[in-house]
Amino acid sequence: MALLDDVVSVPRRTMTVFFMIDTSGSMEGNKIGAVNDAVVNVLPMVDEISQTNPDAEIKVAALEFSSGTKWLYNEPKLASEFVWQDVRAGGLTSLGAACIELNNKLSRSGYMQAASGSFAPAIILLSDGGPTDDFQSGLTKLKSNKWFQAAIKVAIAIGDDADKDVLKDFTGSSESVLIVHNIEALKQIIRTVVVTSSQIGSKSSTAGDVSKQDQVIKDITDAVGDIKGAESAAAPAPAADNYDDWD
Amino acid sequence: MSELKPGTKIGLNGGGQVEIIKELGRGGQGIVYLVNLDGAQMALKWYLNDPGDKFYKNLERNINAGAPSDAFLWPEYITKRESGSFGYVMKVRPRNYYEFGNYLLAKVTFKSVTAMLAAAMKICDGFMMLHRHGYSYQDLNDGNFFIDPSTGDVLICDNDNVMPQGDKSGIMGKARYMAPEIVAGGIPDKYSDQFSLSVILFMLFYANHPFEGARVVACPCMTESYEKKFYGSEAIFIYDPNNDTNRPVRGIHQNVIRRWMAFPQLLRETFIDQFSEEKLRNPNTRLIEMKWKDIINKVRDEMVVCPHCGDEAFVEIKDSSTRCMNCGKTINTSLRLILGSRELPLTPKTEIFIDTDNIPDGRVAVDTTGTTLIQNVSPDAWVVETASGKIKQVDPQGYMPAKPGLKIKLKIHNEDYNLEITTK
Repeated sequence: MALLDDVVSVPRRTMTVFFMIDTSGSMEGNKIGAVNDAVVNVLPMVDEISQTNPDAEIKVAALEFSSGTKWLYNEPKLASEFVWQDVRAGGLTSLGAACIELNNKLSRSGYMQAASGSFAPAIILLSDGGPTDDFQSGLTKLKSNKWFQAAIKVAIAIGDDADKDVLKDFTGSSESVLIVHNIEALKQIIRTVVVTSSQIGSKSSTAGDVSKQDQVIKDITDAVGDIKGAESAAAPAPAADNYDDWD
Repeated sequence: MSELKPGTKIGLNGGGQVEIIKELGRGGQGIVYLVNLDGAQMALKWYLNDPGDKFYKNLERNINAGAPSDAFLWPEYITKRESGSFGYVMKVRPRNYYEFGNYLLAKVTFKSVTAMLAAAMKICDGFMMLHRHGYSYQDLNDGNFFIDPSTGDVLICDNDNVMPQGDKSGIMGKARYMAPEIVAGGIPDKYSDQFSLSVILFMLFYANHPFEGARVVACPCMTESYEKKFYGSEAIFIYDPNNDTNRPVRGIHQNVIRRWMAFPQLLRETFIDQFSEEKLRNPNTRLIEMKWKDIINKVRDEMVVCPHCGDEAFVEIKDSSTRCMNCGKTINTSLRLILGSRELPLTPKTEIFIDTDNIPDGRVAVDTTGTTLIQNVSPDAWVVETASGKIKQVDPQGYMPAKPGLKIKLKIHNEDYNLEITTK
């Protein structure tokens, strides 16, 4: 046996990117078409990040919800193995049920069973409406899940009809809710959110003790400023130290 | 956020301009473009967001000061502040250099242990020179190195956070490579660089992380608070002699399990010391780069080519013979070249590295009668004094017999070295 024989890759923790996709009837047409197109196009980028990243192996899981919920695969998959089946729109918006379903899988007996351990996942919720089921009890359950608490959470609100308060409840802050007004912006935002979340494990951090969630949101918010038809749901920063002049 | 299209021209501070040819790659902070500068192809790192005046001035100062050594892909020009941001120009990385991450992922492997040791030496030398020039690197991690797998030559990139020792760049570093005191909120300096350097060297030699063993694998979800614990306040070296709770796990940390005992004891002792609780807690007691270079020299002295199977093998300096770890046959290492506290076994086909420039100065050979010879492969003649006091000269490419009692005087890079051949 020569000294450098049989070298194997360093063990990497797994970072799973969860897509939660609203496939209710209102998503029909361009919206669902754009989501399908964006995800198909972002998967090779995720694959590239995963392949060249000595810190984390990135996997993908996708849950669609309408009148019911359905996982696209019954385990997280490498982006290179994730063959995206276009999702179709129709039915109601069972976001509460989706929360319960996600809660079930966010456990070591569910999807988080990587041998070398995991990083906190990234969860990306896409919706254009409001829940038609008991969302609050589903979310309450999910919020007690430690994986969910540690996760990077971003919601993409498609159009003005999306219930921003619900999405804010889900992610925990208005900064993590992004609103898109057109199909092109939707595609760009999906790409930005997925790529930024996937890269987070291998980035250097800066002073100020910013958490990974904050850092992802900051990077995404910076990027959103350049995308026409996309905005953050966060209130704008104060335009002046005070508004006394306006009295 | 600012991106540049092919064909865009960006003015350089101090005159001239670069023209964007294409994107080469992108990271969190910016994009690297291939650019044309007066007919030469160079690389432009362009920041997506302008990092501010202080950063610009520091970069400008570093460019004027020049690279600390040829190990650095150092910024050579800074652009004017236009198109909403700025960038700096450096040489393009040659194709035969691969990112260190590719070695960790086992996509690229060193062609030889000699190359691996050359890489370690070059990295230590680079940071020695950087610190000697009064800088600290601040963000030392696995993404900063490009290495040639056949020669072990190294290019250190991402030199834009390099700051005078004591100054803040605002960067903290990358998790798993940051020194414990930085994880706890401290400011990066040359001492934290030295910690990160030890982590990099450990990963270079053993291809696993020094703090990732059973205890860390058992953690199902690596959150930021766990990261602070496992790589900061409660970091435990996987081979800590006083604490066996974090040993490497079979099937997961394969490389280090295979190599830990196969590589020299000196290396084991050094890492055990550098990752001891005392050194983790007291930054200014960490090994300086010059000492690391001495250690790598000694490790290299213990590496010979097995005369039986031709593979590289480590031998025990304290013994006069060692069993080859590849073929199991005995390697006679009794013939030695003595250089200060170093002892270099003279076994056939082994290269002799006197100084730390990674270029062999001598080579051991055997003539047709079976006599061991040393070939001078350095550019300068050696002066040899025999046991009876005769003076001989060995010209470049010339040979001398490896007879005990011979004293050799030679010069490398204007430095004098006195060696003697002995037997053990």
